[in-house]
Amino acid sequence: MSTVAVQPERILKDLQQLWAQMAQDQAESGGVLRACAMTLVVAAEDSSDAERVRQTVGVLMHNHPSRAVILHPGGSGADLDARIFAECWKPFGKAQQICSEGIEITAGRSGFSEVAKFLVPLRVPDLPVVLWCRGAAALDPGPLESLFPLADKIIFDSGHVADADSALQFLRRLRGRGRRVADLHWTRITGWREVLAHLFDDRALKPEEVKAAQVTFGGPAVTTEARYFAAWIRTSLPGARVTLSSGDGPPGLRSVMLSTASDSLTIALGSDHCVEVSGCGRHYRSLLPSASEEALMQEELGILGPDPVYERALTA
Amino acid sequence: MTEVRNPFADPLRFERRVPECAIVIFGAAGDLAKRKLLPALYRLAYDRRLPASFAIVGNSRTAMSDEEYRQRMHDAVKQFSEDGAFDEDLWTRFAGNLHYVAGDVKDPQMYLALKEKVNATGQANILFYLSTQPSYYTVIVDGIGHSHLASAPDGAWRRLIVEKPFGHDLESAKELNARIHAVFREQDTYRIDHYLGKETVQNILALRFGNGIFEPLWNRRYVNHVQITAAESIGVEGRGGYYQEAGALRDMIQNHLLQVMATVAMEPSAVFEPDAVRDERAKLLRSIKIMRPEEVDSYAVAGQYKGFRQEPGVNPDAQTDTYAAGTFFVDNWRWAGVPFFIRTGKKLPKRVTDIAIQYNSAPLALFRSGDGAQGTRPNLLILRIQPEEGISLLFLSKEPGSGMRLRPVSMDFNYGTSFGERSPSAYETLLVDAMVGDPTLYTRQDMVEASWTVIQPILENWNNRRFDFPNYDPGTWGPAEADAMIAKLGRQWRNS
Repeated sequence: MSTVAVQPERILKDLQQLWAQMAQDQAESGGVLRACAMTLVVAAEDSSDAERVRQTVGVLMHNHPSRAVILHPGGSGADLDARIFAECWKPFGKAQQICSEGIEITAGRSGFSEVAKFLVPLRVPDLPVVLWCRGAAALDPGPLESLFPLADKIIFDSGHVADADSALQFLRRLRGRGRRVADLHWTRITGWREVLAHLFDDRALKPEEVKAAQVTFGGPAVTTEARYFAAWIRTSLPGARVTLSSGDGPPGLRSVMLSTASDSLTIALGSDHCVEVSGCGRHYRSLLPSASEEALMQEELGILGPDPVYERALTA
Repeated sequence: MTEVRNPFADPLRFERRVPECAIVIFGAAGDLAKRKLLPALYRLAYDRRLPASFAIVGNSRTAMSDEEYRQRMHDAVKQFSEDGAFDEDLWTRFAGNLHYVAGDVKDPQMYLALKEKVNATGQANILFYLSTQPSYYTVIVDGIGHSHLASAPDGAWRRLIVEKPFGHDLESAKELNARIHAVFREQDTYRIDHYLGKETVQNILALRFGNGIFEPLWNRRYVNHVQITAAESIGVEGRGGYYQEAGALRDMIQNHLLQVMATVAMEPSAVFEPDAVRDERAKLLRSIKIMRPEEVDSYAVAGQYKGFRQEPGVNPDAQTDTYAAGTFFVDNWRWAGVPFFIRTGKKLPKRVTDIAIQYNSAPLALFRSGDGAQGTRPNLLILRIQPEEGISLLFLSKEPGSGMRLRPVSMDFNYGTSFGERSPSAYETLLVDAMVGDPTLYTRQDMVEASWTVIQPILENWNNRRFDFPNYDPGTWGPAEADAMIAKLGRQWRNS
């Protein structure tokens, strides 16, 4: 890794040199292959968050090789600093290393608004640009907003925000302005949604028979994931009455109960990261998928086009 | 049965879900089950693609208890699992769903025992897998029919997977189909061709029909010829007995390679739905020009490597083709006059399967510096199926330095590296497809019969003559006659 002055042309030139050097160094041991399918811009909260981001990006690159640009604020001035790095791994049983490249940019608070113009030439031409805005501040983006027009998809995490309604309003507003947005708090409920959807695949329930759905959440206030879950059910079953209620336990989804005229079925959060399904002749546990940041991002980076189901739930 | 749309479906995020079912494997102690089927099913469990409730019921003649069968499969899965993905805890849970019924497939009592075992698993849906010697296929299908194992309760299904070969010629293929249809409907019959399950073969459709730049160049105006090569560096490896009855033409060209050719040359279907895609493949197979008897010697070449007759189980006078090559033409507007050269063989210099689409050279040799021949070298689009799945485009580029010297360069797309996710094996893909009821990548009766029709004149010619075998050395690219076959049309094999 090396530190360079922030001039996009200089950064690109240094990246070229880095690749040439790596190719030379690894020539004897199978060589390196440069892989890139997108530009992933990550706006980290601060320098310690940037360190975490680097680790996460290292994992993400295996499935989504990209040019990663990690931005984080540092100091109060207008200075911009940059360093470049390569992230390499060896596929099982192969001699050749696969590498993706990264650029870490530190911007003083007052220089952050300048970042957008530096990013334009740093994007990999003709490939999608994904912007991942981390932390609570992302939903009150300030200077980050200048990056939005550069991105084909902007990923937030409303799980960091206490006020679910404001977060959803913000995301809807962005969507209304034509931005393609995603929210990791929606991604966190994929496992819940899949369990519920399977009940309809199995005909344990028929859509037309469901009269009511009650979504219960824990914690002091409703979260966006509970709101999303309820909205998703509402848009999928327009004939059913969908209610949200608060229950015991830590913040997050606790259960959903679907009622027909004669029966009811509950999916409830159990122990060991499982949900328990009971009712309508069913009783089983289902393991929820990993909710690690890497797993959530893998899912989101796999969807670069429209995501109609999310958009329906967001705008419902 | 009308399919009701699930309002909660989210295909972008949810995996296709495998329904609860029992898989009944005939030939469950055989090589295919040990090397491919059980490792594929275990891998699906490892990736959490199997439902919480499922069962595998194996049958073969070997007397074994459930526990002994589990132990035997434990060792096989551990040995043959890809990427070394094996977890003892997961295996213990997986093995709890493994059951075994010993017995002869000719014995009606065996089917009753099988039925009892399947019923005990509580599974309503059953997928039968024929992984035995082909001569037992009709016996097993009859046995399933007579024992009413094929009768599904309301809302449940019965499906049958049949391994190749689907007959040994056109007539026997028709007969096999008729016997299968006496018990299973065509839509419940899944003829497996594992080549079609390979990611790169599927990717041919994505390359052709998902991109705008290739399809306009995918026709007789721009394509000079197509070469399809499936080379193996090994010999028959203990399968001499089976192989001497089959031969390369039957074993590879009739099924795998003609299906690959159909995928390369077919017209786009209006929608990506199983029967629409299969209709186009079938149409292409029916458009392949059938050789007249007098053309066979010019357009087809048989070979046998030195040492084949000394392999265990092989007749010392065997006339088996361990190498086969053919020149095929497609009688339609897109491909009229474009030769498709197909070759396959054992004991060739390396293991490689690829499709090379050679384009016409630039009409004018503009660059005549030091290397005139290089200056007119045609472009090649190579679709690599194995060992490294990917796509390469060969074109000419200027050498650095003064002057205008051109040299060919390769632009490579490597499937494994561009998508870091592990590609599922062909058997994983195809087993999931059969369980979810998607036959897109399976071969339909009319496709099987069309490909036998293409091969039949060659078979008849070869069956009625004595070859001067062996005619190629191990480690070479096959007999000289194959070079002559392609040279007659002014082309040469890519032997690189």
